[in-house]
Amino acid sequence: MSLILPPDIVLKVDDLSIVYRTDRGDVKATANVSFELRNGQALALIGESGSGKTTISLALIRKLPKNALVTGGRILYQRNEKIKDVLELSDRQLREFRWNECAMVFQGAQNAFNPVLKIHRQFEDTAQSHGWTDKTAVRKRALSLLELVRLDPERVYDAYPHELSGGMKQRTLLALGVLLNPQIVILDEPTTALDILTQRAIIDVLNDMQRQLDFSIIFISHDLSLAAEMADHVATVYAGEIVELGAVNDIFYQSLHPYTHGLLTSVPTLEHAQDLLQSIPGSPPNLIAPPAGCKFHPRCAFADDTCSKDSPPLTDDVGGHLAACWHTDRLLASRKARV
Amino acid sequence: MVDLLQKAAKNYTVRVFVQAILTIWAVATLTFLLVREMPGNPIDVLIEQILTQEGVSYQEAYDRVAASFNFDPDASLLDLYLSWLGDLLRFDLGTSITSPGTAVIDEIARFLPWTVFAVGMGLLISFVLGIILGMTMAYYRDSFLDHSLSLLSSFMTGVPNYIWGLLIIIVLGIQLDLFNVGELRGTYDISLTPGLNAAFVLSVFKHAALPITTYVIATLGGWMLNMKSSTMGVLNEDYVNVAEARGLTDKRIISAYVGRNAALPLFTQLTIAVGFVLGSGVVIEEIFVYWGIGHYLFQSITVRDYTSMQGVFLILTMAVVFSNLFADLTYGLLDPRVRISGDK
Repeated sequence: MSLILPPDIVLKVDDLSIVYRTDRGDVKATANVSFELRNGQALALIGESGSGKTTISLALIRKLPKNALVTGGRILYQRNEKIKDVLELSDRQLREFRWNECAMVFQGAQNAFNPVLKIHRQFEDTAQSHGWTDKTAVRKRALSLLELVRLDPERVYDAYPHELSGGMKQRTLLALGVLLNPQIVILDEPTTALDILTQRAIIDVLNDMQRQLDFSIIFISHDLSLAAEMADHVATVYAGEIVELGAVNDIFYQSLHPYTHGLLTSVPTLEHAQDLLQSIPGSPPNLIAPPAGCKFHPRCAFADDTCSKDSPPLTDDVGGHLAACWHTDRLLASRKARV
Repeated sequence: MVDLLQKAAKNYTVRVFVQAILTIWAVATLTFLLVREMPGNPIDVLIEQILTQEGVSYQEAYDRVAASFNFDPDASLLDLYLSWLGDLLRFDLGTSITSPGTAVIDEIARFLPWTVFAVGMGLLISFVLGIILGMTMAYYRDSFLDHSLSLLSSFMTGVPNYIWGLLIIIVLGIQLDLFNVGELRGTYDISLTPGLNAAFVLSVFKHAALPITTYVIATLGGWMLNMKSSTMGVLNEDYVNVAEARGLTDKRIISAYVGRNAALPLFTQLTIAVGFVLGSGVVIEEIFVYWGIGHYLFQSITVRDYTSMQGVFLILTMAVVFSNLFADLTYGLLDPRVRISGDK
């Protein structure tokens, strides 16, 4: 491929569109999604359930459900200045790509491990399938990773999955995720279903790991506080589209899209009183027949005729902070008026 | 001593073992009673015969029969039961009523291996085939292959095994003349010397082929349908999804992640099947004139040979109970989750 990307870009998603074929029609789960991921970056995809966050992440390792169809776009992956389109990998190349280049830590690790195999067997399986057959070396690396995620390495490595607690399994899965030194780790709701202290521990572990092991993170969550803590960049996903994309502080303190703004005001903060909490009126649109124009307009306080006719492009309003909204200025004005 | 007993009572292995022994005792007692409640009595039949044919007195006929039968028809049921039970504890199953001098245990030892061989082979083949076909059906679900195999397995399971046996003899043996039914009687060609030589082994397989085929046909459908639904369940498990995301080879995923987990519940059913197939084997062995334990039981029932019948029933019961016990004790090796804590 004659394509050239800046060397620090590990992933560039271009115009990705995905539909799910169902009996009632095509669900447009992802529409024209584009974003970049830089080396060492932690990008959070935030949005409501069903907004298409998980679809985007599953597409990155081509692990979409059978009825999904990629209708357009490219997923460019770069390592050592070699670029490949994930969507064009052969079955064999895809199998090698998975986990070696891009690992995914799934939502709810409770059942992520084969119940009849010991943990060490599952680490070895992963290594062997990618051509790494030296068990002693695998063991050495695995033990150091298990230590990094603050587990008792020897005990966990020789345990069956059912002998570990939920938080231990989640951390073991994180260790397994980086076993092959991937450039990208996708974390799908890594802390849901865990108690608050375990959540805390997982976040600390993740921060540690990223500092030491140098990989990029794509992080999917509806937990905004977690995103604020973990990510350096945030993309807001609404109805299968990225509606706002920017550095974490810009998104949280200077949101340019009414939907992001709505999400933020629906979560309590230390600074604001509880009674200022607002929920976003209405519900997410039907993705079989999404509304014309801006998909958010039926729920948006700033919407006018333009919004129901034309779909706003994701444009760079302020250096590197992108938003897809016709009325960014109105949002900013309203916020100024309130303060 | 009391301490030791209490400890033993808490031990899982000891507990299931005691349960197994009690089950065997209960079934043995029931068999003992039922066998004697069956209409027809070998002694009466023979006394009647001697009376009419030789014109001797009843007492003389009775004495002669009693002597030749090694059996006292006047002994009380309780006495008989107790002495039988006493013998049992010494693994003595008594001697045959109708052919005095023949120890039942020797007869069983002569016939049982053939049945174990035929039933074992049949179950092994159908289990392995069923697991492979069931998994294939699950992987290609809703395809033409899946639908035709589903239909076939329902049909195979629905038709009783003795019908399959008769069908094989009549259609394949007689109408299509694919093999000589008469030559396949017995367990091997009697002109050959038993031993580890090719001709004998081949003959053994040839004679067992029809019963084995029948067992396979009659049980295969069940394994296939069970394995299909079990595999479909496992395919939806997170760990299979994660295994694919981990980039494991298909071979490894199919064998260690899908196959092994999906086959787990089938191992329990395998032990139940052992009992079922052994029991129904009586009729199958009779159809094919295969000289196994079923054939022996059938002969014993015909002449009301109580001790032989008791012996065979007891052995069959023990086979079922012990295969269940074996499954109980070994399931933990297959599924680490059920291992009893403390005896890893």
